[in-house]
Amino acid sequence: MVRYIAYRSLVAIFLVWVVVTLVFLLLHLIPGDPAELLLSQGSIAPDPQAVAALREKMGLNAPLWQQYLDHLGGLLSGDLGASFRDGAPVIEQIATRLPRTLEVIFTAALLASLAGVPLGTWAAIRAGGKADGFVSLLASAALSTPVFVVGSVVILIFAQQLKWLPAGGFVPFSEDPVQHLKLLILPAGTVALSLWAVITRMTRASVLEVLERDHVRTARAKGLGRNTILRRHVVRNALIPVLTVLGLEMGTLIGGTVLVEFVFNWPGLSGYLVAAVDARDYPEVVGIVMTISVLFVFLNLVVDVVNAALDPRISLVTP
Amino acid sequence: MSRSTRKLLLPGGIVLALVTVLLLAPLLPLHDVRAMDIPNRFAGPSAAHWLGQDEFGRDVLARLIWGGRASLFIAVGSALAAATIGTLLGLLGGYFRGVVEVLTVRAAEVLLCLPPLLLALLVVTILGAGTWPLILALTLLYTPNYARVAYAATLQVRGLDYVTAQRAMGAPPLTILGRTILPNVLPPLLVQMSLVVASAMVIESGLSFLGLGVVPPTPSWGLMIRAARGAMEQAPMLLVWPSLALAGTILTFNLLCDRLQTALDPREVTKGGALWMRRPGRRKTAAARRHGAADDNGPLVEICNLAISVGRTPQIDLVRRAGLTVMPGETVALVGESGSGKTLTSLALLGLLPDQLRVSAGEMRYRTRAGAVLDLAQMDEEAFRALRGPEVSMVFQDAAAALNPVHRVGDQLAEALRAGGLTGERAVQARVVELLRHVGIPEPERRRRAYPHELSGGQRQRAMIALAVANSPRLLVADEPTTALDPTIQAQILDLFRKLKTDTPDMGLIFVTHDLAVVSELADRVVVMYAGEVVETGPVAEVFARPKHPYTAALIASVPEGAADQLRAIPGSVPPPHDMPPGCRFAPRCDHALPQCTSRVPETSHPEASRSSRCIRWKEVC
Repeated sequence: MVRYIAYRSLVAIFLVWVVVTLVFLLLHLIPGDPAELLLSQGSIAPDPQAVAALREKMGLNAPLWQQYLDHLGGLLSGDLGASFRDGAPVIEQIATRLPRTLEVIFTAALLASLAGVPLGTWAAIRAGGKADGFVSLLASAALSTPVFVVGSVVILIFAQQLKWLPAGGFVPFSEDPVQHLKLLILPAGTVALSLWAVITRMTRASVLEVLERDHVRTARAKGLGRNTILRRHVVRNALIPVLTVLGLEMGTLIGGTVLVEFVFNWPGLSGYLVAAVDARDYPEVVGIVMTISVLFVFLNLVVDVVNAALDPRISLVTP
Repeated sequence: MSRSTRKLLLPGGIVLALVTVLLLAPLLPLHDVRAMDIPNRFAGPSAAHWLGQDEFGRDVLARLIWGGRASLFIAVGSALAAATIGTLLGLLGGYFRGVVEVLTVRAAEVLLCLPPLLLALLVVTILGAGTWPLILALTLLYTPNYARVAYAATLQVRGLDYVTAQRAMGAPPLTILGRTILPNVLPPLLVQMSLVVASAMVIESGLSFLGLGVVPPTPSWGLMIRAARGAMEQAPMLLVWPSLALAGTILTFNLLCDRLQTALDPREVTKGGALWMRRPGRRKTAAARRHGAADDNGPLVEICNLAISVGRTPQIDLVRRAGLTVMPGETVALVGESGSGKTLTSLALLGLLPDQLRVSAGEMRYRTRAGAVLDLAQMDEEAFRALRGPEVSMVFQDAAAALNPVHRVGDQLAEALRAGGLTGERAVQARVVELLRHVGIPEPERRRRAYPHELSGGQRQRAMIALAVANSPRLLVADEPTTALDPTIQAQILDLFRKLKTDTPDMGLIFVTHDLAVVSELADRVVVMYAGEVVETGPVAEVFARPKHPYTAALIASVPEGAADQLRAIPGSVPPPHDMPPGCRFAPRCDHALPQCTSRVPETSHPEASRSSRCIRWKEVC
């Protein structure tokens, strides 16, 4: 197990390096001068003096390899540079906003799992029946509706028409816990919907597969009760792939809550990213992309380790 | 037209209609999408404007159709571009492998390290918003998907004989790739295509919604939703129309993908689930009929005329007119070739038949410890559960699959003990160790903490046996418990069964096997099955010395023995269940068959009180 975690961690560090390099190359190897690109608005050529100043500021005059090493060195010491817009350290903004994004994602994952695992299991036991068809259709519809559509419609219904919940915004938990949670419900619920669909479908498929396995028949032959079999011999085994998918989805969400944060005015990391992209604030964009990528890789690592704990056979596959 | 093809018509038709309308948009009598009409902003539906007017008084229907055109153009365009590049990379990587694979498929996969929306945002940061940057971003995003799918499919196809043959004949790689491999990898790529179009629409509309995609005044669904949010109070329908259009289109493409997958890969079964998991009430509700207390010397289990069937119209009998009797302490061997129905018969005894099968006739009278006689053929899952463990138990063939890989062996044993009514954690653990020691697992205190995959094949089977005897069953069914093991281990496991018989002299044992040597070593009586029927029963020694059914005789003759110099295989094979001969099922393979054998079903004869044979010529056979 320890060896396995060490191995997976090495792979994760390698992946982070790949991402860092990829982003660096994307921004530096594209045809044209990044400084010029960043400053140009439409077809208007930017002021050459401004370009020269920006080149100096971005360190673009140094040879590429040196820029790359500087870049890596900066990342290692936790220095993500300063924003072009206000000169504030990027890392500070990230430290304030990241927890808010994670809060939405984890709440959504919790809601989605609580609803998705039982429903997926229930549908699998009745596979081919009417109930199963209904759940599958519901999941398909949920998966097909883009998150900003869900968000907008949810605001229309719950905030505009029914006036049950505020349409959006953010209040720190320390200031007003109740209002904070009220504001959390709609964005988390919106993210949870598509996550719920994924978990339900995955659980259903996985449970169906496990039900066919011999060890379930053994469990019946032992005289175990229906619920014990379901809990310990079906769902327990079926959860392993579901967890993997949940982890991957959460990783994608860290960068993918952009739309939800925009819709609900939730001042998280992704919203910050959009603003940075809009303003072409190069250090901000790079800093956020790095943070998200590292988290993405880290989440995958956690999923791998949790999987190994759930399925003792996995740690054997270490090369 | 097959069911799966018919199911393609609905989403396929909608996609076709949608594409036609969007393509014909310039020819349709639509309003100009940019023509503003400020005095009539937020006007509801009218004859001129079927879906009403937006915040600038523009026609919503026209914008919806033109917006769809933009969305679909971007989605399909990038899907096609990604498909072309990705497929090419995948084909090359899969065909040449080695360095080429690293440069193509693996290089493309690097892009998968970034969350999708992030990658798109990065591209937009660099190139600015607009239709073409969007297409480029989406193409980049989906190229790895195609590369992977094409790569996997190419790997599969390139190993096939006809591809190897072409290579051997000196066809140039490009010809092989284009003419042979490409057509074969197209189906999975087609599925991928509909999936990517749907997914590209999600990202395109999302970016447009953020104002980073399609640039106004070009209409797009994402932009329309963005604009409608500002006017939610005055005109909620402005939000509903593009939302419906977007979700509906994506749903249709997703549906198309699902159904394409089913149509192209019909292996997937649609019916499934687990009947036994559902609450009782839909299955046989009647509890077992009780026959009152029988005398103590009666048989432990008596199967009469058992039939196991699949389907209703037509009903196909996999087992019919099967019968066997087990006395307390007796070992009955159930032998026959694969497909003879011996495993099904033994599963029926525990109510563990697969969901598609059912006991359709006959009785399985079982005498419980308390002396009551139950008909197992009439029992439901709940009633069986009370029997499993302390009354009837089973050892399965493949212990590696029969044990749950995620629980420790000791925990799986403990669970059975608790189900059998043992309480107190220390008592349970003590019994676990005792059982493991009993079945000959060394260091039971340590091994109980092992997972099944950490045990050897022989030890796994021992653990399986410990599980089966944990609650001291009165009838133990062992389904080919030695088949999956190598010969030395087989002998050890047989020794274990012998030991169990001596230790628990009252336990009845049904030993399913196709190994006649095992039968003569272990069993008191033998039941021979052929094609779902019991053809002969009797004491082992007598049956082996003087078989009274040509099939038994042929089976014995086919056993390679040290003394016998010739091995006689039985000609032909067991007929499939849906195509059974009308008379005696063995007649087509029988040396002794008469004309009436093929027309009339033979009755059971009793050459001696303890023996039976289903052959009209039993007197002459041996």
